[in-house]
Amino acid sequence: MNHEAMTDTIIFARDLTRIYPLGVNEVVGLNQVDLMIAAGEFVVLKGASGSGKSTLLSLVAGLDAATRGQLQVAGRDLLRMTESQKTAFRRDVVGMIFQSFNLLPTLSVQENVCLPALLAGVPLADATRRADRLLDWLGMSARRGHRPAQLSGGEMQRTAIARALISQPPLILADEPTGNLDSKNGDMVIERLRDLNREQGHTVVIATHSDQADPFATRFIHLRDGAIQSDQGPC
Amino acid sequence: MFFFKLFIWFNLRQVQHHRWRALAVVLGIALGAAVFTGVRISVHASLGAFTRSMDAITGRADLVVTQPGGRVPEDLVARLRRLPGVTDVSPVMTTYTRPAEGGRPFLLVGIDPLLDRHLRDWNRVDPGDEEADWERLVAEPFTLLAGETLAAQAGWTTDARVVLSHRQGDTPFTVAGRITMDGLGKAANGRMAVCDIATFQEFTGTSGYVDRIDIRLADPGTDPGPELTRLMGNGLRLGSPGALKQSGQGMIRAYQVNLSFLSFTSLFVGMFLVYSLVALNAASRRHELAILRAVGASARSVYWLFIGEGALYGLAGWLVALPLGSFLVRYLLEGISSTISTLFVRVHVDRLALAPWEILISLGLTVAVAMLAAVQPAREAAGVPPREVMTTTRHQQGGRSDIRRLALGGLGCILLVLPLAHLPGVNGVPLPGYLASLLLFTGFALLAPWMLQQVGRRLQPLTARRAGGPAHLAAGYVRDSLARLAIAVGALITAVALFTALVVMVRSFRHTVEIWVAQTISGDLFVTTRMAETNRVWEPLPPEVVAYLAQHNEVALVPNRRFSLSHDGHPYQLEAMDFAAFQEFGHFFWLQGDDELIPRLIRGEGVLISEVFAHRNGMAAGDLFRTQLQGRTLTWKVLGVVRDYRTHGGVVFCSLDDLAARMDGLAWGGVRIFFRDRDRELDAAVARLRDDLVLRFGDRLDMMRGQALRAAVLRIFDETFAITTVLLIIALLVAALGIATILTMRVLERARELNTIYALGGSRGQIRRMILWEALYIVTVGEFLGLLCGFGLSYLLVFVINRQSFGWTFLYGVDWAALALSLPLIVATALLAALPAMRLAVKTSPAALLREFGN
Amino acid sequence: MIPIRYKRWLLALLLAVISAAALPVASDDDAGYHTVTGPCDFEFPRDHGAHPGFRTEWWYYTGNLRAADGARFGFQLTFFRHQLRPADDRRQWPQPASSWRTEQIFLAHAALTDIGAGRHYQAEDIARGVLDLAGVETRAQDVRVFLRDWEAVIGPRGHALAMTGAEFGFDLHLAPAKDPVAHGDRGYSRKGTDPARASCYYSFTRLKTSGTLRLMGRRFEVEGLSWMDHEYSTAPLEPGIRGWSWFSLQFDNGMELMLFLLNLKAGGYHPASSGTLVAPDGTTTAVTSDHIQAEALRQWKSPHSGGEYPVAWHLRVSAPDLDLRITTTVDDQEMIAAQSAGVTYWEGSVTAQGRLEGQEVKGRGYMELTGQVQAMDERL
Repeated sequence: MNHEAMTDTIIFARDLTRIYPLGVNEVVGLNQVDLMIAAGEFVVLKGASGSGKSTLLSLVAGLDAATRGQLQVAGRDLLRMTESQKTAFRRDVVGMIFQSFNLLPTLSVQENVCLPALLAGVPLADATRRADRLLDWLGMSARRGHRPAQLSGGEMQRTAIARALISQPPLILADEPTGNLDSKNGDMVIERLRDLNREQGHTVVIATHSDQADPFATRFIHLRDGAIQSDQGPC
Repeated sequence: MFFFKLFIWFNLRQVQHHRWRALAVVLGIALGAAVFTGVRISVHASLGAFTRSMDAITGRADLVVTQPGGRVPEDLVARLRRLPGVTDVSPVMTTYTRPAEGGRPFLLVGIDPLLDRHLRDWNRVDPGDEEADWERLVAEPFTLLAGETLAAQAGWTTDARVVLSHRQGDTPFTVAGRITMDGLGKAANGRMAVCDIATFQEFTGTSGYVDRIDIRLADPGTDPGPELTRLMGNGLRLGSPGALKQSGQGMIRAYQVNLSFLSFTSLFVGMFLVYSLVALNAASRRHELAILRAVGASARSVYWLFIGEGALYGLAGWLVALPLGSFLVRYLLEGISSTISTLFVRVHVDRLALAPWEILISLGLTVAVAMLAAVQPAREAAGVPPREVMTTTRHQQGGRSDIRRLALGGLGCILLVLPLAHLPGVNGVPLPGYLASLLLFTGFALLAPWMLQQVGRRLQPLTARRAGGPAHLAAGYVRDSLARLAIAVGALITAVALFTALVVMVRSFRHTVEIWVAQTISGDLFVTTRMAETNRVWEPLPPEVVAYLAQHNEVALVPNRRFSLSHDGHPYQLEAMDFAAFQEFGHFFWLQGDDELIPRLIRGEGVLISEVFAHRNGMAAGDLFRTQLQGRTLTWKVLGVVRDYRTHGGVVFCSLDDLAARMDGLAWGGVRIFFRDRDRELDAAVARLRDDLVLRFGDRLDMMRGQALRAAVLRIFDETFAITTVLLIIALLVAALGIATILTMRVLERARELNTIYALGGSRGQIRRMILWEALYIVTVGEFLGLLCGFGLSYLLVFVINRQSFGWTFLYGVDWAALALSLPLIVATALLAALPAMRLAVKTSPAALLREFGN
Repeated sequence: MIPIRYKRWLLALLLAVISAAALPVASDDDAGYHTVTGPCDFEFPRDHGAHPGFRTEWWYYTGNLRAADGARFGFQLTFFRHQLRPADDRRQWPQPASSWRTEQIFLAHAALTDIGAGRHYQAEDIARGVLDLAGVETRAQDVRVFLRDWEAVIGPRGHALAMTGAEFGFDLHLAPAKDPVAHGDRGYSRKGTDPARASCYYSFTRLKTSGTLRLMGRRFEVEGLSWMDHEYSTAPLEPGIRGWSWFSLQFDNGMELMLFLLNLKAGGYHPASSGTLVAPDGTTTAVTSDHIQAEALRQWKSPHSGGEYPVAWHLRVSAPDLDLRITTTVDDQEMIAAQSAGVTYWEGSVTAQGRLEGQEVKGRGYMELTGQVQAMDERL
């Protein structure tokens, strides 16, 4: 896909800090994180609950704003973006996959997948063609008219993957993608992510407790109490 | 385009999924919109009928000559015709008359068909010998051409012989033909007839004079010239033919604004429903909104999705309102047109014109109101941060400070009411009064969350002890979900307030009118010339009637003479009466002054003015009153102000003897008869005298028994409020619908929690009771605030809105009995409205509830 | 806009009056009216006044005038009186009757032809004869016929005409050069086979005229000759008569000719068609139908009504000896009642040239043509 990005830095963070107010106290979600991830990497984020994995992902995804520090993703400075720029960034640059799938219940599988493309202004026919190709690739063709409530967990997550890919973003972020899946379905999801990384050159960052993704990782980053504890390059 | 796709995917499917909630809201809004549209269209129809009728009568006149309080000498016609620049001069006479055999009065127009030929048109219904028709009208005495509606309703055919009744007595006429609903035939919506001016004068006994003279100029733009003005001496007035129409239209329009406002309250209540459903959807779909935002939807799109949802309810409500309204309008039309006829100007409406503009207004307003109601929830929805996509916990809303801020805002609104209430109305439309009412509603609605909080906080410990778990839990829920509940309460407040205010107003009004009727409209028999009341023209009573009555020793006579005049464009009556005789049997209902003034009034030192006259013309005791009457200028000092509730404007009372002296003689126009002996068989005595008079002068007089007249007055006032009652019932209906909807939503929203309670061992009965308690809290707070708001509103209605739109006020009186009876009824209704929610709470299986909210 | 039906009524009334017939009613409705069955034996000034009791009456002024600058004009001013019901019907009037109650209706018609410009102007009005709106009154020696501010005052020293309209008006003084001429048998002018189908008819055939004339804001001092007809009757036109052609001509030799032709539907003229030739000394010679030969030389088709009018004539009379060619000064002098709806007759200024008892003559006058659009004996 984006071949130039192979050699480029896709995520650059320095002193990245996120503090949540909680009543009169503050909770530190992320504490002075420095990080560089190159395009084409397959990064596995590890760490206990509350270690800052999700916070880091939501900052990189443009879902949340850092309290201070620097953050550049695909060459864009996330701390200096306006709301509408962030909206476009979420549409074009990142594909998000969640533990709880986060599909819209009133939309069919196909419509859920199409949604980001449509929001980006792609004509419905084009978006549908793209979605069908992705659903085909994920083995979901037969399910494309179903509503999320009619799907199994694995099917929901495959739909979510298709949705993350519809805008052909260079960066795929996955937050515990296998957390709600049995091991068979979990493996399948990880394999697809691996395919995306290896065959299509997407940068993949997975936050997970499980070790299903370990064999494919190019890099492991361990987080603890909002800070990077260890950062191991590819084995 | 994509926005609509998204709207369909995201909002419309949700609405479909919960179609019963949506339907309830749509129905609520539809009721409001239907009433609003129905009222507007009905008034529009009356306005149209009035305007058409006036235009038909006015014809193409550029100028009109009238004589205030009198008639125009007919020899002026020839003189006017000879003036340069004057192309047509046509004398016109109109009166209401009716078939002697009974039936409703109709309009009789007398013209000279030759002189009138360029001013008014008409066409024959049956094709045939039009020429002979016209020739016949002029050549044969007592022939008429009947309007299409009149002919159809009275069953008149060409050459039919009909007997018409007027003050000269009954006269047989021949129907020379029927004319279509064109031109003059449109007058009084076709309930009219045309006859030659000679016939008219002979029929009504008005010789030498005509009601008015219409003038057409060669160049309507030019000044009529000094010759024309010179001819206008002797109290004649040269005016524009539109003046009468404009004043009538102005009154109907003001009434339209009044009714629009009242019917708008139904729409206002419906607005709460839209708010609550959109807010519920926005809140329950928070997580979905976060997902939408996370996958790249902008905050603006989310905002418009929910505004769109509001608009959808508005549009759907409006669509449902159309058939509903067309059904309603049939009922409203009659009530409204009869009220307009009673209060302002005579209108004959028997058809509804399609009023696209009115329909557009109602569409625009309904959709706008629904969109407005969606603004706050839409803003909340747009504010959902995309990061919430990462969390699964529910967001808690409605901070304490918000509630306090709302309460303070509400208080501010209520405080603004007072100064607004003192501002004058605009063109007879009490706009400040209405604004004050809206502020009152808004203020109390804003106070609602704070009140609920207080009640919840106070009640929780109390109810825990007294009523046990369910009440305790309910109080807690009320406290914790203020924002949502406040909406239900807001709707209830509005409805209860409207109810209370109207109950108070109707009671005050009726009570005051009852006193007035008993004191001022005293008398055993009222005698006037035939059709005098209908025409508002009080011709002198035949002298033989006066002479005959004067012989009767057992009765006392209170004679009067009335003139229909106008002061600064406001119509009023000048009533000359025998104060001395009146004083023996009746009293004025004083606002300024007291009975001590009567001797001065008898001496002609001044006049009394009615409250309506005082308000319309900004006059009070001590001011000078000046008027033109039959070419004379009369000036009096205003000595006092009295209440008077007769319709069609204010009244000025002066002494009959004094006016007779100033006018060089004045005949009686009407007389009230009192029997001196009050103890004997009064009814029989009145009946005997009446029969005697009928026998002697029957077809020339209108007589009404005092009792019947007083009952008729009260009946007219009751009829006037019939429309108000319809509006009231619908507002209450919408409020009940609101309570049912909101409670049901609350149950659905908390399905998990309720199931948890159930799972933890709470019985169905306990859950049911909990919901009942919740309803009770809402209803109690709503009713309490509504009552407060209602008293405020009743003050506005009695002392501001009524005064500004009709010119009268009443003695403030609260019908405690009616309130005591109806308020519990509202509580019961509200609790009844909780029934579906209670049933739902215990009926739905946990699994079904999970599906409802699961994804 | 005046509704068409209404206008038709006015027109009907107007034409009925012109046609010496009443409203289109059958002749047995003449009951209660006076009828003309013999000589009228006029007595002046009494007979200048109104003759109530007869259904129809008119005072008819026409004339050809010349302004100081040479401009030529034709004018017409006519007052019609029409009685709606016989006088006996008054007994059925309510008492007291309204002062508007009357059976007398007055119509007035005025026209002006600007011969040089080829334009024709007209005005009309109608009112009932009460309350000073219209009427005929006699004050000392004067008879005044009036409607609104139009009037004709006939006095010992002449006739004074006044008329004001939106486009034109005039104030004229008419001095009789000859005494009035009674037509037919001492004024008894037959209009049909039945002796009762007749009118009382006299004319002032030569009225020296001077005065002012106003046209579209301009004033002209004018002089010329006028003609006045006064006629009253009750009988309607005889069935079978379509209309008539009527001529009033004043010749430069001091003679005048009145001639009317009653046109039969079947073609030709009714035997009652007749005329009067007036000598310079005022003596009259009757012209009877059996001596008349009339030929229409040219037809003019009205663009307004579509009616075809014979506007040029060759008129020959054997006794007295007459051979005249008559032409219009302006073709379009069609009269439009109520400023509108379908023209039904033609009334206008003409010139005549030819031989009169062996003498070459020139003359001016007026011509009236009716029945071209609709037969006058029919109901409208």
